[in-house]
Amino acid sequence: MPTPTTPPSPPVPTPAPLSPADEAEKRTSFEREALVHLDSLYRVALRLTGNAAEADDLVQETMLKAYRAWEQYQKGTNAKGWLLTILRHAFINEYRRRTRHPETVDLDAIEPFSVFEELQDEDPQGTFFDRIVDDEVLRAIDQLPEQFRETVVLSDVEGLSYEEIARVLDVPVGTVKSRLFRARRLLQQQLYDYAVGMGYIKGSSTG
Amino acid sequence: MNCRECAEHLYEYLDRELTPDLEREIRQHLTECPPCGEHFDFEKLFLDFLRARCRAQGAPPELKHRILRELFDE
Repeated sequence: MPTPTTPPSPPVPTPAPLSPADEAEKRTSFEREALVHLDSLYRVALRLTGNAAEADDLVQETMLKAYRAWEQYQKGTNAKGWLLTILRHAFINEYRRRTRHPETVDLDAIEPFSVFEELQDEDPQGTFFDRIVDDEVLRAIDQLPEQFRETVVLSDVEGLSYEEIARVLDVPVGTVKSRLFRARRLLQQQLYDYAVGMGYIKGSSTG
Repeated sequence: MNCRECAEHLYEYLDRELTPDLEREIRQHLTECPPCGEHFDFEKLFLDFLRARCRAQGAPPELKHRILRELFDE
């Protein structure tokens, strides 16, 4: 009877079990450096998946992966960026197919207009922003193409630098800049249209 | 520094991503050129608004318990 000589090797070698003292130390450092970023991970997950249950699962999976790989994380470096990279990979590999679909639009063809120019006469101080509530802004972000959405979330929601965003998304800093520019202009445009629709501002006749 | 060059660096300036020299040049231009100044003020207002509206949301407490349970068998 044929017997395989070697069992199939697992994708990741199982690390030697930690001593109780090391396990406690690992837990302490994970809680201090990783779990403190739970809110950030959740906000990003929510914007990526567009749904609370999926966001919960994605964050939980990210934390499990991060804990298993915790020895590879260099203590004291950018834990938030490291965790967000894990989260994004998990999203792309396991969630995107089930939730949203990658866009087929030509992002370079998007030419957002400047809301400031539209409003120069009517509301140059942008006071209409004050009347727009959180949910409406989040809805506008959710409507952005995925590449713009993730860039704007990492920047404006999570406060990452261009360099940090470039590392998480694995794109050049120049790409971060151009996506951020377009994403913010698109957001402005959507919120402007919303404000016109609600009668907060009159808007231009061509708008 | 002219208006076009200044506008090209709009978000980098507001995101504090420029070198100190370039940042100084832009700041100088903004004080001397009211239209550019107003435009930058508007964009800054927009970014402040955007950030204020999006940062409040946190993870549900139940999620943290779930993760702790899963990680540490609590």
